[in-house]
Amino acid sequence: MTQILIVEDEQHIAEGLRFNLEAEGYQVQIVETGEAALELLLAPEAPFDVVVLDVMLPGKDGFAVMSELRQAAQFVPTLMLTARGHPEDILKGFAAGADDYLTKPFELAIVLAHLRGLLRRRDWLRVSVNHAVAKPEPTDTYTFGDKSVHFDLLELHVRDKIFPLTLMEANLLRYLIQHEGRPVSRKAMLEDVWGLHEDTDTRAIDNFVVRLRRYVEDEPVRPRHLLTVRGVGYRFVASPLIRGQAT
Amino acid sequence: MAGRRKSIAFYIAFGIGLISVILILYIGWVQLNWRHGVLLVLGILLLIIIISGVILNTISLVREIHRNEQKDAFINAVTHELKTPVASIRLYLETLQTRAVDEEKRKEFYRIMLDDSDRLMATIEQILRTGRMGAAGRKLNLVRIDLDGLVEECMVRTRAIHAIPAEALTFHPGAPGSIMADLEEVRAAVSNLIENAVKYSGKDVRVRVETEQVDGYVLMRVKDAGVGIPKTELKRVFKRFHRVPGPLASRVKGTGLGLYIVRSVAKQHGGRAWAESEGAGRGSTFFLQLPVAK
Repeated sequence: MTQILIVEDEQHIAEGLRFNLEAEGYQVQIVETGEAALELLLAPEAPFDVVVLDVMLPGKDGFAVMSELRQAAQFVPTLMLTARGHPEDILKGFAAGADDYLTKPFELAIVLAHLRGLLRRRDWLRVSVNHAVAKPEPTDTYTFGDKSVHFDLLELHVRDKIFPLTLMEANLLRYLIQHEGRPVSRKAMLEDVWGLHEDTDTRAIDNFVVRLRRYVEDEPVRPRHLLTVRGVGYRFVASPLIRGQAT
Repeated sequence: MAGRRKSIAFYIAFGIGLISVILILYIGWVQLNWRHGVLLVLGILLLIIIISGVILNTISLVREIHRNEQKDAFINAVTHELKTPVASIRLYLETLQTRAVDEEKRKEFYRIMLDDSDRLMATIEQILRTGRMGAAGRKLNLVRIDLDGLVEECMVRTRAIHAIPAEALTFHPGAPGSIMADLEEVRAAVSNLIENAVKYSGKDVRVRVETEQVDGYVLMRVKDAGVGIPKTELKRVFKRFHRVPGPLASRVKGTGLGLYIVRSVAKQHGGRAWAESEGAGRGSTFFLQLPVAK
């Protein structure tokens, strides 16, 4: 579950935000001082996905908290939300390491959209980092049966034939291969491969799978590797046993 | 604004004057080189004038800069105090508009919005009152006021706003008699003192308010066990926009107008206001003294 930390000493605003964020399905924690925020965020394995940070806090102010976090290599996406809207304040916020800056009074929908944007950017980055890490070495291939996927070349080799893959097809295939033998839900695929959290139409995935089956399966209408798990999603099986069991 | 422009004009005139003095000295030195004795005395005199002038000039400039800094801090504080309640009210209105909120929550949201509008109104009142303090030719609307009654009224209000039990904020009336004063102004001063005592007490509120009559004056004493005030700041806290620097008091939000209002009200009515404290962290006592009605 996505966890949000709100650093805000104005109880009314903190509670109002909490109500709305929880209604959006996020988990919310509130702290009232910069010191408390630092303690939470600098702890190892801090569980927060995004931080909403006020500037005028008792004691250490938001700018100081921001730069201390960044100096300590805590790069959690942070939205500064403050009454101070002078250009120099905004510049100061970004210079301290904020990812985003909004001023009070704010429009609720806008704040929520900015937070979603930060979360999405982080997820996309995570996906692309995964690719960068996993990318490879010329031998980044996976072989099953008489087929082999060449992720680096974005190609699927079936016996003597070569099918070109798009980047997303390759990513989806890699994801399914990583979970070999286990059912994978459509939602998980959308989140982990595309980095989308919206209630996007999950049928888009079905189209991808239909296309992949054309390459991977000998008889696409009777799949043996890319199996449908009813009501859930799909399952990749590298070496299917007997025909009857596979469907 | 006009004041600042005036002071700038003064500095320019002062600078031109100093330069002319130097020029006269220089010309005199060249032309009347032979009268050594007289010139020496004259020179030293002029030099002293120039040096003291420069020192004076610098002091004024530093003061001006200091005042500007305070004004900036004040504007930041006021911005915060004005925008925060508006932001909060907006947030709850939008929430009520866009989400399904059950009856209980709805009532809570209404209460929060009312609190915020009260807070907004209080800040606006303080700013307007400060503006009126500076206005020339203002007339006080003098009426006979029973101080004990007024203090009691302010106490009840403060207890209600901050949800403080009666034993944490106690009143010990000494029947000091009545005063001739402007009711609105004195009420603002009294409630500012009580509010401050509560605000700067932190979580552990122990405030004692006393009244008595001393030498033809009624005296109100507000004693708290809060953050206290360093000796050097005891007078400055009554200045406009001034807030005690350092972490202790900056944990409490405020505009720096409250005590300025208290002192101004006291002065207008021929009384005075002052503070005593054993130092930081050891509580403080504020005094408001006004002449008894004849």
